[in-house]
Amino acid sequence: MAFILIVEDEEAINELVKRNLQLVGHRCHSVFDGKTALSQMKHQSYDLMILDIMLPGIDGFEVIKQANEIPTIFLTAKNSLPDRVKGFSLGADDYLTKPFEMLELLARVEAVLRRTMKTANYFESGNVKIDFSSRQVFHSGQLVECTPKEYELLEVLVNNRNIALSRERLLELVWGYDFEGDTRTVDVHIQKLRKKLGWEERIKTVYKLGYRLEAGR
Amino acid sequence: MKQRTFLTTLALFLFFFNLGIFIVSVAMFKDTLNRGEERSLSQHYFIASALIKDMQAVEGRGGDIDGSLNALLQPYGYLSGDNDAGLAFYKNNQMVFSGKSNAVIQSNFIEPPDNGSRLATIRKVDEKTYIIVSGKLPAPYNSYTLVYLYDTTEAVNSWSRLKNILFFAGFVLSVLFAFGLLFVLNRIFDPLKQISRTSKDIANGAYDTRLPVSGNDELTEMSKSFNHMAEEIQRQMTELKNAADKKQQFVDNFAHELRTPLTAIYGYAEYMQKAVLSEDDRLSALNYIMAESRRLQTVAFQLLEMANLQNNRINLEELKVSSLFETVHQTLNSKLVEKDILIEFSSEIETISGDFCLMESMLINLIDNAIKACDKGGHIYVRAYKDAESKSICVQDDGKGMSPEVLALITEPFYREEKSRNRKDGGAGLGLALCKQIATSHDGELSFSSCPNEGTTAKITFTT
Repeated sequence: MAFILIVEDEEAINELVKRNLQLVGHRCHSVFDGKTALSQMKHQSYDLMILDIMLPGIDGFEVIKQANEIPTIFLTAKNSLPDRVKGFSLGADDYLTKPFEMLELLARVEAVLRRTMKTANYFESGNVKIDFSSRQVFHSGQLVECTPKEYELLEVLVNNRNIALSRERLLELVWGYDFEGDTRTVDVHIQKLRKKLGWEERIKTVYKLGYRLEAGR
Repeated sequence: MKQRTFLTTLALFLFFFNLGIFIVSVAMFKDTLNRGEERSLSQHYFIASALIKDMQAVEGRGGDIDGSLNALLQPYGYLSGDNDAGLAFYKNNQMVFSGKSNAVIQSNFIEPPDNGSRLATIRKVDEKTYIIVSGKLPAPYNSYTLVYLYDTTEAVNSWSRLKNILFFAGFVLSVLFAFGLLFVLNRIFDPLKQISRTSKDIANGAYDTRLPVSGNDELTEMSKSFNHMAEEIQRQMTELKNAADKKQQFVDNFAHELRTPLTAIYGYAEYMQKAVLSEDDRLSALNYIMAESRRLQTVAFQLLEMANLQNNRINLEELKVSSLFETVHQTLNSKLVEKDILIEFSSEIETISGDFCLMESMLINLIDNAIKACDKGGHIYVRAYKDAESKSICVQDDGKGMSPEVLALITEPFYREEKSRNRKDGGAGLGLALCKQIATSHDGELSFSSCPNEGTTAKITFTT
């Protein structure tokens, strides 16, 4: 979906971010210091940059100053207010502190990409096509009628594809914190989606956890 | 304070100044009157004695005194004939002769005592002041009383004028004094005002404010000690600030040291829980989790060791330097070979007292740092020797060296030369802090000297 540059000097975390982004279908490029990041940006054009602040040589603040207009999410251990403010004032699109949660990172990446990407906004897998801008779902070219909650659930599943989401988390993401129903609601909606899209095999029930939409990587 | 001093001083001044003027004017008044009185008395005496001679002469000629009195007295009337004096003569309280002003004399006549002493009185009649001297002539003429009157109005008036001038001048001087006093007080209290201003500034956090020091008096002395106090405060505040900064730095670094592995561990665990993984993915994720856990363990262990060293005394024993060096060499051998570094051990002393494990760990740490600093094919010298009664071990390398600023900080816990705290070339940054702690617990001192691009020397000097 998008081509993302990851600038992070800790190898373990760099790899982790890369793997998570690849799960939902992004292409990633890892670099480990600011200098390489800047030279890479000259050769390639990226849709997004995940940027650490404490980097060897040129630090993250300097990198974003010299980078031209690439959408940027800071991912850093620096969580003080002045650092955040500095990050945003230098033009960052978001600021995430370590330790972070996978879902949060993905959600923020998604949000920034949706804001900044100019390309058509749709998802296609097999014979199912989802148009995010018009909120329409097609199955074999036929428009599928969805309730708003069903559509939202589908969108969450698609955005976090290949990642298992617990029922509680799905409730929280789709129905909101203040929804008073129980997790059975999620099961019911999942059943309906499976049926409407013929996704009985795609939307997997993960034992003791929840559901996962498996789509090609 | 200033106002009170001003009012008190002014009141005291006015009181004593006016009292002085008053006393002076009273004294002058007394003096004026006395002079008038003395003059009157001497005139009276002169006239009386002359009159007696005349009377004796009249008696000698057998004449009648009473009859010739007028003729006798007439010249004296002229004698004292200026406008200020008058004369009267009584016989048995009957006026027998009077010059001018007899009305005044008449109304103020007092019978003088019989013992021949004279009576001088001062009377004020119709705005005029008179001195009246009355006295009986000596026996046998003691039935006669001579009264001499002297008009002293002029003198009293001139005294009165003088008195007025004095009081007027006094008033003018008092006003001038008041202004002068105000000016002087302002000058005196000005430094106090400045001190209070300055201390307010200091209290508000402007610790570099100072009082101007000039001259050589008590105030200068005070300004000096005040400035000294301000300097002391500033110094202590700076120290506190530095200590707080250091602590903050420590906490920040510590947080980073914990956060990075925790982020990785949590992230990979979550990844393993939620994503569809191949066997390779699973293994590498597990590897990351284990490596990061080990990293946390190392940090925890080193911190614990440091805390232990701070609290506990260690067991000192005599260690063979050669076996210490050998153990260290063995431990580090693979790293040395890998970077092709030549290491030389030399020992001038047989034994050294300390804890074997701690000494070993310290030497390994120091040599490990030296290896990191060296390029391929570098040299490291480890020497144990004795100089000036104290034993020393020094580790010298010809690696990249450090700048003085870095050198000052390397023994701070979690300090890392690279700001990004990247681990490629090191651990958590606790190694040298630990070394320092070990040296301290052996009553030793760890010192470094370094030159960029020339190498670094670490030296432990044992004082025991």
